[in-house]
Amino acid sequence: MIGKDKKVFLVDDDIDFKDQMEILLKGFGFEVLMGESQAEGEALLKNNKADLAVFDLMMENQDSGFILANKAKRINPEMPIIIATAVAAETGISFSVDTEQDKNWLGADLILEKGIRKDQLHREISKLLKL
Amino acid sequence: MIKLEINNKQIEVEEGKLLLDVCREEGINIPTMCYIKEIMPTGACRLCVVEDLNTGKLITSCSNMATQGMKVSTHSKRVAESRKVIVELLLSNHPDDCLYCVRNTNCELQDLSYNVGIRERRIRGEKNKHKIDTSGVSLVRDPAKCILCGRCVDACGRVMGVHAIDFVNRGNKSEVGVAFNKGLNTSSCVNCGQCIIVCPVGALYEKDHSAQIIEALDSPKKHVVVQYAPSITVTLAEEIGLPAGTDVNGILNAALRKIGFDAVFDSSFSADLTIMEEATELINRISNGGKLPMITSCCPAWVKYAEEFAPDMIDNLSSCKSPQQMMGSMINNYYAEMKNINPADIYSVAIMPCTAKKFEAQREEMTSQGITDVDAVLTTREFSQFLNKFGIDIKSLDPEDADSPLGKRSTAGKIFGASGGVMEAAVRTAHKMITGKPIKERKIDAIRGFDDIKTTQLQVGDLNIGIAVVNGLGNVDTLLNEIRNGRDDIQFIEVMACPGGCINGGGQPIALNTDNIKKRMASLYTIDDTEEIRTSYENPDIINIYNNYLEEPGGKKSHHLLHTHYMERDVM
Repeated sequence: MIGKDKKVFLVDDDIDFKDQMEILLKGFGFEVLMGESQAEGEALLKNNKADLAVFDLMMENQDSGFILANKAKRINPEMPIIIATAVAAETGISFSVDTEQDKNWLGADLILEKGIRKDQLHREISKLLKL
Repeated sequence: MIKLEINNKQIEVEEGKLLLDVCREEGINIPTMCYIKEIMPTGACRLCVVEDLNTGKLITSCSNMATQGMKVSTHSKRVAESRKVIVELLLSNHPDDCLYCVRNTNCELQDLSYNVGIRERRIRGEKNKHKIDTSGVSLVRDPAKCILCGRCVDACGRVMGVHAIDFVNRGNKSEVGVAFNKGLNTSSCVNCGQCIIVCPVGALYEKDHSAQIIEALDSPKKHVVVQYAPSITVTLAEEIGLPAGTDVNGILNAALRKIGFDAVFDSSFSADLTIMEEATELINRISNGGKLPMITSCCPAWVKYAEEFAPDMIDNLSSCKSPQQMMGSMINNYYAEMKNINPADIYSVAIMPCTAKKFEAQREEMTSQGITDVDAVLTTREFSQFLNKFGIDIKSLDPEDADSPLGKRSTAGKIFGASGGVMEAAVRTAHKMITGKPIKERKIDAIRGFDDIKTTQLQVGDLNIGIAVVNGLGNVDTLLNEIRNGRDDIQFIEVMACPGGCINGGGQPIALNTDNIKKRMASLYTIDDTEEIRTSYENPDIINIYNNYLEEPGGKKSHHLLHTHYMERDVM
């Protein structure tokens, strides 16, 4: 269980996706702290600590996920952050975190295109948490 | 023999030939788009039309036979006009972003529009707005650029037997897509990349890792090492303007050092290592009543196919990691220990003929405590661009040797790149392990070449071993079904997903030219004929690594570092 005794922030305004993700993350053993907007995400960050975060990108703002990621990194630079988004499919714009510079300005450690498989998520999380 | 007339010339040809082939043999170049040689033609794109002067009709030469008394004009005004309109229609909804396209200067649509003389836009259509699919680990699909020729659908379904993609929607909403409009990551795609090889435009391409590699090369903290697959040295030539099949072995080592890699290793060494482990595993299975037939596991597209479509055969797969992953593991353990480098500071790059190697490198089993065996994979095509990025003229370099201790190879490791090569290499070592003597006839002609399924029986000491080589993933079910139905004369099977083996991998130069593929294979066998060390167990670096580190093939340390496991995969 890669999430045993660990907490994860999950923020997404797409309720269906959030529910699916919650099931997956709980299945991995995580305690899941959830929000449905950038604002709720910011409140979560203020009052809690987690080992990992999964943020949607486009919520109140087009770049809500990146804003949240940058704020989260200021509080806890060690916490890996996954941006789960459909931005490439929806807009044709794709972001990458191939370089340190990309990671620094986006605040994210990994960007995953939505429609994420369970095994894919498991693999990426265990790599990010160095398990 | 039949007689017919092409462009006012009487010719005599054998009966039963495609009109297209007859024209091409006559030196007449007829453009095609949807046609793939050796696959039942669809006649979908209509570019190959010729005028049948007997009936007055335009007929597709790719799907009509040459017949007695036929009179054909291949480049009449009417034919030229209709071809031009077809290309203009293809361009009417195309994104036209050639300058930013991965296939710029290597695009059949560009060539076609130039060759049929399109110099202005006469037909303006609404541009495609299909969504790009970046969900896959190895491949990206950009259906907006797709011209619906269907070659990828044929390559995926009819050649590879995977059927991950097909046409969806109707009319002008048609596109090539994945079941339920999902991403490629949820599909049965095995990442072989044969769809890229056949795609005439930039609608399919591999996920690029070059930015990460450049970042690592630029970082003083990182010790950046590179390995290259056995087939790369005989296929890179085509990308850099040398004749097909030219071996650029030593020059490649020099180029990689010039780019700035701290150490250059040859995956043919780890192919030798795979052979030591795999031959031992085979002998153990035969002598201890293990699961047979044993099936090779060095092709990651085949491994994923087995996990998806043949989970009942997972126990038949060899537990050996592939040469790429064995090399990665030896770099992070043996080499790191020897050089006193923290494995976390090593950035390990692989240059591979294969897009599925990108998938393999990121498999969860290949990572431990956040350290992956291999960090990034470049295909042969990407690597040739990489050379350009670093301004390296490979033709001006003098050959250099790869680095030891993971750089020396036998030719047995080298022929891994050709279908049948892994089997031949394994038999050479298994013979020595079983009988204590070297094999007399190292060449096994019955398993060389391009046949779909190649089988033979070998006498090794007291043992009679049946071997089979499956050349092309689309043929594997035939053999697997025979085994499921009780066939028991085969003990060892090699499966290579791409037809011809890695020399025709999905990451190789886009050739669509069977002569070039044959030259690549011939070049590997020439190396086997001309060099001295032809068996894995004679490779001095292999002898050293077992003496100094691994102890024995199939031993405890080997099992920990060089073997893996597989799992059933649930896909759409």
